[in-house]
Amino acid sequence: MSAEIPVIELRNVDKHYGPLHVLQHINLSVGKGEVLVLIGPSGSGKSTLCRTINRLETIDSGEILIEGQPLPQEGKELAQMRAEIGMVFQSFNLFAHKTILDNVTLGPREVLKMPKDAAEKEAMELLTRVGVDAQAHKVPAQLSGGQQQRVAIARSLAMHPKAMLFDEPTSALDPEMINEVLDVMVELAREGMTMVVVTHEMNFARRVSNRVVFMADGQIVEEGTPSEFFDNPQTARAKEFLDSIRGH
Amino acid sequence: MGYAELFAAYGEKYLLAIFETLSMTVLCFAIAMVISVLVTVMRVSPIKPLRLVGDLYVQVFRNIPGVALLVIVAYALPYLKVLMPWKVCVEVVVVLLASAFGSENFMTGINAIGVGQIEAARSIGLTFTQTMTKIVIPQALRSAVLPMTNLLIATMLTTALGSQVPLNPQELTGLVSFITTRETAIGILPFTVSAVIYAGFSVLLGLAGNAIDRKVRVIR
Amino acid sequence: MSAHTVSMRDALYEAPGPKTRRRTRIITGISLVLVAIGVGLIVRQFYVTGQLDAKCWSFFLRQGTWRYLFNGFLGTMRVAATAGVISLVLGVVFMLGRTSGIKPLEVISRVIIDFFRGVPSLLLIYFFYLALPQYGLRISAFWMITLPVALAASGVLAEVFRAGVNAVPKGQTEAALSIGLTPGKTMFKIILPQALRIVVPSLISQLVVVVKDTTVAYVVSYPDLMQNARVLITNNDALVQVYFVVAILYILVNYGINQLSIYMARRSGNPIISRTTENPT
Repeated sequence: MSAEIPVIELRNVDKHYGPLHVLQHINLSVGKGEVLVLIGPSGSGKSTLCRTINRLETIDSGEILIEGQPLPQEGKELAQMRAEIGMVFQSFNLFAHKTILDNVTLGPREVLKMPKDAAEKEAMELLTRVGVDAQAHKVPAQLSGGQQQRVAIARSLAMHPKAMLFDEPTSALDPEMINEVLDVMVELAREGMTMVVVTHEMNFARRVSNRVVFMADGQIVEEGTPSEFFDNPQTARAKEFLDSIRGH
Repeated sequence: MGYAELFAAYGEKYLLAIFETLSMTVLCFAIAMVISVLVTVMRVSPIKPLRLVGDLYVQVFRNIPGVALLVIVAYALPYLKVLMPWKVCVEVVVVLLASAFGSENFMTGINAIGVGQIEAARSIGLTFTQTMTKIVIPQALRSAVLPMTNLLIATMLTTALGSQVPLNPQELTGLVSFITTRETAIGILPFTVSAVIYAGFSVLLGLAGNAIDRKVRVIR
Repeated sequence: MSAHTVSMRDALYEAPGPKTRRRTRIITGISLVLVAIGVGLIVRQFYVTGQLDAKCWSFFLRQGTWRYLFNGFLGTMRVAATAGVISLVLGVVFMLGRTSGIKPLEVISRVIIDFFRGVPSLLLIYFFYLALPQYGLRISAFWMITLPVALAASGVLAEVFRAGVNAVPKGQTEAALSIGLTPGKTMFKIILPQALRIVVPSLISQLVVVVKDTTVAYVVSYPDLMQNARVLITNNDALVQVYFVVAILYILVNYGINQLSIYMARRSGNPIISRTTENPT
């Protein structure tokens, strides 16, 4: 992996919200096929970090590279780069006025200029894969949260992304729906998708990720393999955090 | 005097008045929609002076009473060498008022979409233009159906301002004032006729708007 | 978990890159110039037509002018407040009729509500000013303007109240009935008080409509702000100036009322139900 160019690389990234220094000298690289989990207390900057990777948040200084190329700042180049990186949001963000099928085909048709038939055929395959093909002609509001989130994943996959960003994909879900979404993500990880996942699901992090990055107060405090991190955290902040989520 | 006599004497005037009211309503509403869109584009643009002008436009014309605006347009502007026919004065006033509310309706429609969908559109690689034409505008238009129906009804009611200036032919409210002043024993008859016509059109427009809304409403 | 919430109007355009920023700056510059030219042309038009001459404005320096306008404003407020109270009562009555569950009463209430929502307030004013006197009904100028304004508002208010009642959770009715309250008691003791609280911001915003409607008071020669403005004009020969000042006064008052209703809506979390958002039928 060291010889290869990382899919995503952040170099010395800084960001402020007014007086708040929300990202502090972040250095991070994600290799091909790697599943990186970002964890940390709320307000630690992990979501912001995830969103800077496709420039839904801007940065003040530093560099973000996608396959060695600097992240474009605007225009067609930026749109092109975003098309190559999937993003799944906490609140699903499906297009409310479009059917499930149209949600998935919109990107391929508008951005990749795929013909309608081909786009729909592939969309149906993706919907089948995530288990919501029966809902293809409904609108988002008619689906459960778990189903909507699976559609959102299918919508991203339809663009054949090089990497996928997950910004707390299960935080807005009822407990019984969390697993149906995690299952799809586990499957993706197995197939070798490069993933950056912001999550509170520690089991997922432990089972699926290659690397855990722990953030607090805008800084990367600690990183390591899941077993290193969960079984033998090095910093007091990480220990404290792990204790608090384990409930004692 | 009964209905029969009223219509014998003023039937033709009533028909003309209905046409005046409706044609002014349609014309003003159409122009107001165009201006609403322009003002809304200004208000959501990243260009500060345009935003400011758009916001000011809406605040002025949604808060000024129709009569106060009419006296300015019809009686004050001529002092500033801006002289328009009476009917145009009324139409200008109705358009200004309606377009301010129209822009508010569009803004509400845009606000209902939510930042999340815009971000999702960006994240799959849609450009600004595609995000606007595929996501924002279709949803804003659909959720504007009911408010715009109400605005169309309000526009019709606002054309009654035409009764405050000499119009020929008169619209429905001016005609009532005209007839009632001339026929001193006519009672509530002319009033009732106009009122029923207004209320009838209001209900009809409302029903039509509801039917369209049910078809296109965005379920959230 | 975006660190700060952005309003939609800022979200439509994303944070600009360097090229976009440059373009925005240029367009901002051009639009500033255009706006300045527009304002300049308007001021120039005032100037060349002599409307900026000191003699057209000097009477605004007199205390009497403002006292007279203030008296007019009090007149406007008297009409608006009275009409507001009457329309509140009528609105509740019509709403109760419409939701009474008694078919004939429902139909009648609906017709009344649709009627007052569907006719221009000017027409109602002509009814009180021109039609009623023909039957020998003599009422004062105050009531000739207040009653039609109140009636016009009552139809809309009835619908606002209905929306408020609908917004009270169903469980409240069920709970009230289950402890043995009669349907009537349930409405008056449990539902209506809560509905009233929900619609407070909407009622305040509806006051703007009432204030606007009062401006037709000159038709019946009631001394409100607009009517007093007309008197000032005949005394001072300064039509443009008086109408502009009065218009600004109205705009400020209504803007204030609107802001208050927005503030109340934010504080209470209850939406503003207005004519434009309610169901048209």
